[in-house]
Amino acid sequence: MFLALREMRRAVVRFGLLVAAIGLLVFLILFQQALQDGLLTSFVGAIRNQSAPVLVYSVDAQRTLQGSTIPPELERQVRGAEGVGRSARLNQSTFTIRIGEEGDSDAAIIGTDDQELVRPTTLTAGRRPEREGEAVGSDGDFRLGARVAVVGSPGVRPAEVTVVGLAEDLQLSVTPTLFTDLDTFRAASMAVNPGATAMLPNAIAVAPADGASAERVAASINSVAPDADALTRGDAADNSPGVAQVRQSFQVIFLLYGLVVPLLTGLFFLIITLQKAGSLTLLRAIGARASVLAGSLLLQVGIVMGLGLAVGVGLFYPLSRTGVGGLSLRFDATAVLAWSALLLGLGLLSALASLRRVLRIDPIEATSGPGVR
Amino acid sequence: MSSSPALRMEGVRKTYQVADEEIVALDRADLVVGGDEIVALIGPSGSGKTTLCSIAGGLLTASQGTVVVGGNDISDYTSRQLTDFRRTSVGFVFQSVNLVPFLTARENLLVVSELVGRGGRRRRKDAVARTAELLDELGLADRADNLPAQLSGGQRQRVAIGRALMNGPDLVLFDEPTSALDSQLGDQVVKLIRDEMKDRGTAAIIVTHDDRITHYADRTVRIEDGRISA
Ligand SMILES: Nc1ncnc2c1ncn2[C@@H]1O[C@H](COP(=O)(O)OP(=O)(O)O)[C@@H](O)[C@H]1O
Ligand SMILES: [Mg+2]
Repeated sequence: MFLALREMRRAVVRFGLLVAAIGLLVFLILFQQALQDGLLTSFVGAIRNQSAPVLVYSVDAQRTLQGSTIPPELERQVRGAEGVGRSARLNQSTFTIRIGEEGDSDAAIIGTDDQELVRPTTLTAGRRPEREGEAVGSDGDFRLGARVAVVGSPGVRPAEVTVVGLAEDLQLSVTPTLFTDLDTFRAASMAVNPGATAMLPNAIAVAPADGASAERVAASINSVAPDADALTRGDAADNSPGVAQVRQSFQVIFLLYGLVVPLLTGLFFLIITLQKAGSLTLLRAIGARASVLAGSLLLQVGIVMGLGLAVGVGLFYPLSRTGVGGLSLRFDATAVLAWSALLLGLGLLSALASLRRVLRIDPIEATSGPGVR
Repeated sequence: MSSSPALRMEGVRKTYQVADEEIVALDRADLVVGGDEIVALIGPSGSGKTTLCSIAGGLLTASQGTVVVGGNDISDYTSRQLTDFRRTSVGFVFQSVNLVPFLTARENLLVVSELVGRGGRRRRKDAVARTAELLDELGLADRADNLPAQLSGGQRQRVAIGRALMNGPDLVLFDEPTSALDSQLGDQVVKLIRDEMKDRGTAAIIVTHDDRITHYADRTVRIEDGRISA
C-alpha cells in the first residue's frame, strides 16, 4: 500500500498518462461496442423485437423478408408441420412516404393478418393498431399521431397510415419501419402498383403449439418443407444479410483492443520494474518479502486499470445519452461490466512479466550495486 | 545493552563455485561481537568483508559453520525466515544503493515499518514518532521531505543510518559507509555512527579499508583472503 501509493504520487505524470491512455482505449471499446449494437439493431431490430418466435422464409430468399415468397403449397406445408401452433402471413416492402409537408423518404411497412402474433414486443408510447390504416412505428422516425402518406404511382391516390403507437429499436435495414395489418399493407402496395392481382405472403410467422420449443418447430418445418427456411427469431436476426459481416469486423477491432490494452500496461510496468530494480533489491535486502513487493505491483496495476476504466466509462456515459448522428448509443451496463472485468483481468495478466522479475530478485545483489566488487 | 553477544560466528566458511574453480570467500571465520560493541572490520579489497557482513545479516547463508545473531541461530534459516530476520533484527547500510529514490528521507525510514504488508494503526503511529526522532538526531529534521536526489552525499548516508536503526536492530552492519565521501565528511559520518550506536547500546560492524576510522571503534578486526586475524 505505502510503497505503491507513494511511488504513484511521486510519478503522477507518468501514471496519469498511462491512465489517460487506458481510459481512451476503454472509451473507444465501449463506443465501438455500442456502435456495433446500434448498427445491428438498426439492421434487424424489427425482427428481433417482434413477437413471433419462428419466421419461415422461402429457401431462396437469403433470409430477407423482401426477397422471400411463400406459394400456397409451401404455406400449407408450413401450417401443417408438427408443433406449429398459431401462424400468420407476413408481408414487407419498402415504400416512399411523405409526412405532412416534409419531403419524400423511405419506410418499410410490415403487414400481417395476425397482429396478436406479429407485433412489436414493447411500445414506448401510444397503443396497438385497432383498425385498418393504423400502425406502430419505430420511435425516433415517427411522431405519435403522424399521418403518413404512401406515395403511389402518378395519378393514384396515396394510401394513408396513422401512427398510433411507437416502439424502440424497430428499424429494418436502417429504414424507418411501420407495423400494420395486412389490409393496410395491401392498400399501400395497390397505391404503388394498382394493377397487381394476387399478393403472396413474404413469410409465415409461427408460434409453437403448447409444449414445443421454437427450435424444435423450426426444425420440424424445415424437415417437412424443403422449400422452407424456418428460423427462430434470434437466428432470423443473426442470419440477416450483413449482420455476420458487421459482427466480424467489430470482432477484429475488439481483438486488437484486447491486445493493445494489456500490451500497453504490460510494457509500462515492465519498464518501471526494470527501472527500479535497485530499489526493489534494496527493499528485499532490508526484509521485504517478495510477496509484499508483488502485492504492491498488482495493487498499482489494479489502481491504474480501475482509474482507466473509470475515465473510459466517464467519457462514454455522456455520449451514450446523446448518441451520434442518427444512431442511438446505449449505455449497456452489462457490456460495460463485462468489458471492465475482462480488461482488468488482461491488465493483471499483462503484469506477469514484471511479477516474475520482482519474484526473482536476489536480495544479495544489494551488497554489490554499481561500482562495487 | 545486553551482556550476551550480538553476533557469534563459529567456523564460518563461504565458497563460490565459478566455472571449475572454487573461490573461498570466507574461511574458518570465528568472530564474536559483544552486545554493545563496535567492531571495525578492515581488509583489502576482495578479502571477504562484504561476504562476512552478508552472512551476519542473513543475506547470504554460510557453506559451513554457525551464525548466531542476538541469540538466534540463523545458520539453518529458510530464505523466508532470513527475510523476516533481516526486517526485524539487523540494520544494513550498504556500499551502494541505500535509499529508494521515489521516497523522501522520512519515507525511506517509514518504509521499514511498512514492509510487513499490513500493519496496525498503533505500529504506524510508533513508526512515525520514531522516524521524527531519528531524523532529528541525525540532523535531518529540515530535510525530512526531500527526495534522495535533493540531498548531499553525507545527508544521504545519514538517512541510510536512520533507516538501518528504524527496526531497533540487535546488530547494524555498515559496509564501507564512507567510501563515497571525502575524508572529512567520512570522519563525521563515522563519529555519528559511533554516537548513535553508543546511545542505544547497539552493536555494529563497520567495514572499511581506512585505518583512520578505527579509533572510533572499540576493537579492530583484520581480514585477509577470507581469514580473520584479531
Ligand atoms: N557472487 C560471487 N561469486 C563469485 N565470487 C564472489 C562472489 N561474491 C564474492 N566473491 C568473491 O569472494 C571474495 C570476497 O568478496 P567480498 O566479500 O566482496 O570482498 P570485500 O568486500 O572484502 O571486497 C572475492 O574474491 C570475490 O571475488
Ligand atoms: Mg565489499
